[in-house]
Amino acid sequence: MKKEQRSPEAFLPLTPAVLHIMLALVDGERHGYSIMQEVTLRTGGKVRMGPGTLYGSIKRMIADGLIEESAERPDPALDDERRRYYRLTNLGQRVMRAEVQRLEQIVHLARSKQIVTGSEMMGGA
Amino acid sequence: MDTLPTKRDHNFSSSLYRLLLFCYPAEFRRIYAREMATTFRDCYREAMQQHGKTGIARLWALMLYDLVTSLFVEHFRAFIARWKHLFAIEERQANTLMNTMSIIFAQRTDIGLQRSLNEDSALSFLPEDPQILSKKGALFVVADGLGGHSQGEVASQLAVSIVQSAYYQNERDELGLALRQAVEQANAHIYQENQSQSPQPSPDKRMGTTCVAAVLQDDTLYVANVGDSRAYIVRAGQVKQVSLDHSVIAEQIRAGLLKPEQVADHPQRKMITRCLGEEGNVEVDIFTEKVQVGDLLLLCTDGLTQYLDDEELRKIVQTYDPQESVQHLIERANERGGEDNITAVVVRVA
Repeated sequence: MKKEQRSPEAFLPLTPAVLHIMLALVDGERHGYSIMQEVTLRTGGKVRMGPGTLYGSIKRMIADGLIEESAERPDPALDDERRRYYRLTNLGQRVMRAEVQRLEQIVHLARSKQIVTGSEMMGGA
Repeated sequence: MDTLPTKRDHNFSSSLYRLLLFCYPAEFRRIYAREMATTFRDCYREAMQQHGKTGIARLWALMLYDLVTSLFVEHFRAFIARWKHLFAIEERQANTLMNTMSIIFAQRTDIGLQRSLNEDSALSFLPEDPQILSKKGALFVVADGLGGHSQGEVASQLAVSIVQSAYYQNERDELGLALRQAVEQANAHIYQENQSQSPQPSPDKRMGTTCVAAVLQDDTLYVANVGDSRAYIVRAGQVKQVSLDHSVIAEQIRAGLLKPEQVADHPQRKMITRCLGEEGNVEVDIFTEKVQVGDLLLLCTDGLTQYLDDEELRKIVQTYDPQESVQHLIERANERGGEDNITAVVVRVA
């Protein structure tokens, strides 16, 4: 029954929702709505996540040990309803770093082929 | 803008969203529906403040899109999980246990990372015969064996099997007493085994075992305990240890000689003051609790509780179904060192 600890690479690639949630949690623990706000803010409104996608991702991230519940308490800025807060685990941080590195390599490859700043020839491809 | 219609729109939107949440699988809803409704309300407030009616229209477009896509994902995953459950022999569901309640349970035992033997034993037993089931209930036992030369393994296996047979053969109507006698019989048997060894093993080689046994019948839980394996009930976010540890440390804490925070590295952390097999007679503690729908019962050995505190135990058993819970509990203990064998039984009253 012994299960070996999975290496961070085993979780890759992450879905965009999971990566955005992780990035939102880098600065500290947040509740669900605060994660949504952060994602919208940081992507200039380009990425909008609904509660279904958010909590579906949260459920699986908890199951994989990428994030954990920290405590249930009210958000002083909103109202006195209690909210569950989530935070990144050590494994989650390692997985996020591995994913960012993977993406960097892809961006690097793309740059070397000059599709980002380069010639018009590749433009619409 | 008139405030009254706004509030009415708000209530209507919130109610509609809460209604739509019923489309999600029950397990998902149980964990997240409340939070999703709160989040929806927050989004609604923000959209209204920033963009008024247009904001609300855009919000609903996003919500419906999100609903459709995530519904598909959640149902698909729930479907896969159900198939997995069908093939998982450890978990069974009993709808006939009680008139109003059913139970879902799972058990798992693991050698840990540092021992060469698994001396823990566990049993989850649901009588096939509906009459016996309704009269005597379901039985769950966890035992942590001790003794040299793999004797601990023998002792814990003897304990769970004797408690099971003795309990269901006992004709008494008082189930708590029947359970106590079953544990006493297991003690007598293991003690006899020790006595019949020849040559007589030295005291530290004699076999013994802890034993925590729980009977769930109708809405009553009976727990019998000897040693430092534990029974917990989790109800509405609160965790309660039902059994009392018979360990040097727990007794010093109860006597006010030691503070709970001094336990972690205490040299006598693993020393118990009562076990099955050591004496011809053993004092068995019996605890009785009323249970209700939604309650969770956890039985476990100290290989788990030496690493996870009450709050962590609660979070895991509340977040996952029993099958996933036992897996997560054991993984967590192994991540922190897995010094001892680890065993957990989780029962959800549904």
